[in-house]
Amino acid sequence: MKYIVTIITLTFGLMTFAQNVEFKSSNFKDDKDGYKAAVDAIKAGDEFFTLGNEAVFAVQSPGMNFGLALREYEKAQKFNPDNAELNYKIGVCHANSSDQEKCIPFLKKAYKLDPECDPFLNYYYGFALQLDGDFSAAKKAYDAFANSYKKADDFSKFVSKRKKECQIATNAVASPVRAWVDNVKELNTPQNEYGPSVSTDGAELILTSNRPNGHTPNELGGYDDDIYISSLSNGKWSKPKAIDGPVNSESDDVSNNLSYDGTKLLMHRVVDGQCDIFESELKGADWTAPEKLASSISSSRANERFASYSADGWSIYFNRDNANRSNGYEVMYSSMQSKIQKNYMAAQMISSINSKFNEGPIYVHLDGETMYIASEGDGSLGGYDIFVSENINGTWSEPKNLGYPINTQYDDFFFSATANGKYAYIASNRAGGEGGYDIYKVTFWGTEKEPVTATEDYLLASIVNPIADNSIEESVTVKKKSFTVFKGITIDAISRKPVEAEIEITDNTSGKVIETFTTNSATGKFIITLASGKNYGIAVKAEGYLFHSENFDIPKGSSDNLVNKVIELKNIKIGSKIALRNIFFDTGKSILRSESNAELDRLVKLMKDVPNLKVEISGHTDNTGSAKLNEQLSQDRAEAVVSYLTKKGIAASRMTAKGYGPNAPIASNATADGRQQNRRTEFEITGN
Amino acid sequence: MSLNKPILFAVFAMAISSASFAQLEELTPEEQAYRDSIQALNEDNAAIASSQEAYNRGVELFGQEKYGAAIQEFKKSIDFDPKFTAAYYNKGVAENKAKKHKDAVKTLSTLIELKGDYSKAFFQRGLGYQGLNEYAKAEEDYEKSIKLDPTNPKAYYNFGTLRFLQKDYEGAANYFSKTIELDKENVNAYNDRGSSYRMMGKYAQAISDYEAAIAKNPNLAFVLNNLGTTKSKTKDYKGALAAFNRAISIDANFHLAYNNRGVVQMNQGRLDDAEKDFKKALSIKSDYATAESNLSAIYFKKKEYKKALEHANKAVKMDKSNSAAYVNRANAKEMTRDMIGACEDWLKAKELGSEAGKKYYAENCAN
Repeated sequence: MKYIVTIITLTFGLMTFAQNVEFKSSNFKDDKDGYKAAVDAIKAGDEFFTLGNEAVFAVQSPGMNFGLALREYEKAQKFNPDNAELNYKIGVCHANSSDQEKCIPFLKKAYKLDPECDPFLNYYYGFALQLDGDFSAAKKAYDAFANSYKKADDFSKFVSKRKKECQIATNAVASPVRAWVDNVKELNTPQNEYGPSVSTDGAELILTSNRPNGHTPNELGGYDDDIYISSLSNGKWSKPKAIDGPVNSESDDVSNNLSYDGTKLLMHRVVDGQCDIFESELKGADWTAPEKLASSISSSRANERFASYSADGWSIYFNRDNANRSNGYEVMYSSMQSKIQKNYMAAQMISSINSKFNEGPIYVHLDGETMYIASEGDGSLGGYDIFVSENINGTWSEPKNLGYPINTQYDDFFFSATANGKYAYIASNRAGGEGGYDIYKVTFWGTEKEPVTATEDYLLASIVNPIADNSIEESVTVKKKSFTVFKGITIDAISRKPVEAEIEITDNTSGKVIETFTTNSATGKFIITLASGKNYGIAVKAEGYLFHSENFDIPKGSSDNLVNKVIELKNIKIGSKIALRNIFFDTGKSILRSESNAELDRLVKLMKDVPNLKVEISGHTDNTGSAKLNEQLSQDRAEAVVSYLTKKGIAASRMTAKGYGPNAPIASNATADGRQQNRRTEFEITGN
Repeated sequence: MSLNKPILFAVFAMAISSASFAQLEELTPEEQAYRDSIQALNEDNAAIASSQEAYNRGVELFGQEKYGAAIQEFKKSIDFDPKFTAAYYNKGVAENKAKKHKDAVKTLSTLIELKGDYSKAFFQRGLGYQGLNEYAKAEEDYEKSIKLDPTNPKAYYNFGTLRFLQKDYEGAANYFSKTIELDKENVNAYNDRGSSYRMMGKYAQAISDYEAAIAKNPNLAFVLNNLGTTKSKTKDYKGALAAFNRAISIDANFHLAYNNRGVVQMNQGRLDDAEKDFKKALSIKSDYATAESNLSAIYFKKKEYKKALEHANKAVKMDKSNSAAYVNRANAKEMTRDMIGACEDWLKAKELGSEAGKKYYAENCAN
């Protein structure tokens, strides 16, 4: 079983290992015409291929040679796609185009079909791997090429440079710079878009494209470069529109640099193979016809391109190729003595920033101290990269690579930044684009932002423990004070006459005497205020009267805050006589009328209250009528009273009854009133 | 039989009563006037008693921290006896406690009209004004209170607090010093004087005062927290951590101490430890915007930008005036490719007074 598996594996291995199909007639016996056409196409392509390679070796532009070669090779490729050498050549053509990414599958296939199909295959295979980001494998391929390439020419400098690029790219990819690079899709097409130049406010962008423009296409069907403008609205760029007027021509018109105020444009134009720098100005809404700059800049002896204004507007930086030198385009500058006359002086080379390879587009930042230069020179990750140089004390420093992902192993060039430097626009033919060169937007993150942390405190203790004076005033003892008016009168118990008396009021709860006073001598009245809800004792003293004492309650919360008290005092003085005015008899008779009972009962009470009291009850008449009859009547009436009292339980021994008739008047009988007073019943204290 | 007994007693008592106090005659006009005056006096006394009863119920309810009910009783007390000053005072205190500062000011103003030398009433009204953020009026009352009773450390203390809140840190420190002079054991005054010094940048004096407060009461977690943040400012991270650790050992749920310890850990590069602390703070107080914002900062540092954005979003939602949260959200938005949103947040942070917001907005958003 094991052997069977091995055999199957080998079989599949052989089947998947494609073979190099040589362009031999024996290989195409069935299609000799096709074979011949293919071979002819290869031969035709080879002529251009050779020219292209010579230009590359001379660090010059290969022009359309590789494109023309490719057009021929693609005919043969359709006939026989499995020829290593043809795949190699197609790969080289693409590698030297603006669509370098396309070279990768052809060169890989060539290597696969026959790693020795061309002495330069390892070099270009390495290049394909480099473009593909496999820097380690690329370096090995370059090493293999270097080991096999024995010619003593300048090509070794390319190999050496490529190996350096791989090393630099490896490091750069491992340590990307703080920026995003995004394809600005709305600006790009499958053709080339490059030469971005953004206005300082970031609202407008000038660019160059060879998209179909209505001009006559070249023999490859390609169009000339024209300059376009786009506006930013709601974060999106509008569809680029070719600048109206004379700025664009049938030749290649390439935007170089928009002045900071947006009123002047540097561009280069290729006329009959001669590349020079022109300037157009914005007048109103129109750009003027571009004018070739002074010969000190746009010389007839060399090609000039990629110009940039200096920050102060007095100088122009640009590229110039030098036929006497092998370093390709170099950065030059020329300054004018008068802005009116625009008398630019002889251009000077800036040796500190030029490399042994082509320098490319230049951009001088608004600060005047920073120059961005594209270069294929040392320090590149591959192709053109963008470098930055600082002007230190009048000298431009050695350019420094802006790093990955701004730069890649592809061509990355042009640099135009917004005023605050947050955004920049570049051109690149990196993989994944819309085709050819595309415009990319670089967003710089700036120095690493520090997140803001916050601590928190209760700096004031009152936040934790609020300081309030929580102590409140204390509770109080509720005093329910209520007073009652205590009104009274002291009278003789029998006669009902007012008696002046001394009164002492005692709070029985506390035992304290709270009031002492004497009642009115004329009326016997008194009126005081006592606290309600208490029991009081009252003691009444009056001369000749029995001491009077009692206790009483003043109810709490009484709505009727009045107590009215009559204090009846009992007369006990021997010899004192008291007229009993409320004892009534029928005229001439001695029968007590019932209205007399109240008075008689008071007398009963007095006799009982004072058990030792002895009295004489006497009857009196006026002098009207017979004295004898009057005496008898008065005697009878006195006895009637004594009889009443006796019946009420008063011992008869304590009472005597005597009728005085008219003999003891107390008033004059001459008047009716006197007689009325004289008609009376009296009692006299005779002992106690 | 037993049912009849009280009835018989009542009848007897009535009989006695009517016998003893029989009204003999109508009152004379003078006597009637006198009786009326006593009646009026009785009514006054009844009202005072009712006032006192309501007042005492209020005192009891205040003691039970039932401030609303207490206020009602004190109000009844005042209604019965509008001259009962203690009821006004207690009502004012209860209203301050219930955060009804406007009512408290009104009550205490009436009291001050009744009794213009009531020092405590001025103090309480000062508290009321303070609660209403009417600092000038509060200061006037505290000054008056101090004038009437120069020995009341609380008035000096609150005056100092007001000076602090108005950023007069030197004035605040002076008043807190006076408080300490009158009440040497007042740890709050030590803490607050320390905070005044801290705000003046006098960190050594601040630390000295915080330590004095802790010496008097070692269990004050918030003072330890203040000590920790002040030591952080002097780059004494070790001391700061020790202080935060002590604060946490005293109060295991002290979210501020966790948050602040997290910030120190973060400054020292211990991002994981810091993350734990911020999460702990949030587990204690789930709506703690500062910790959410700091957690966002941690994730930003860890380059976990989506998480950073998520937590900054939460922080902003919790506290729309948290400038740090806006800065952190802007930073996260930028790194998640929302530059417009980032600029909006930096601008908002700038408007809230954030220096970082101002800087980042200028650097990243203007053309």
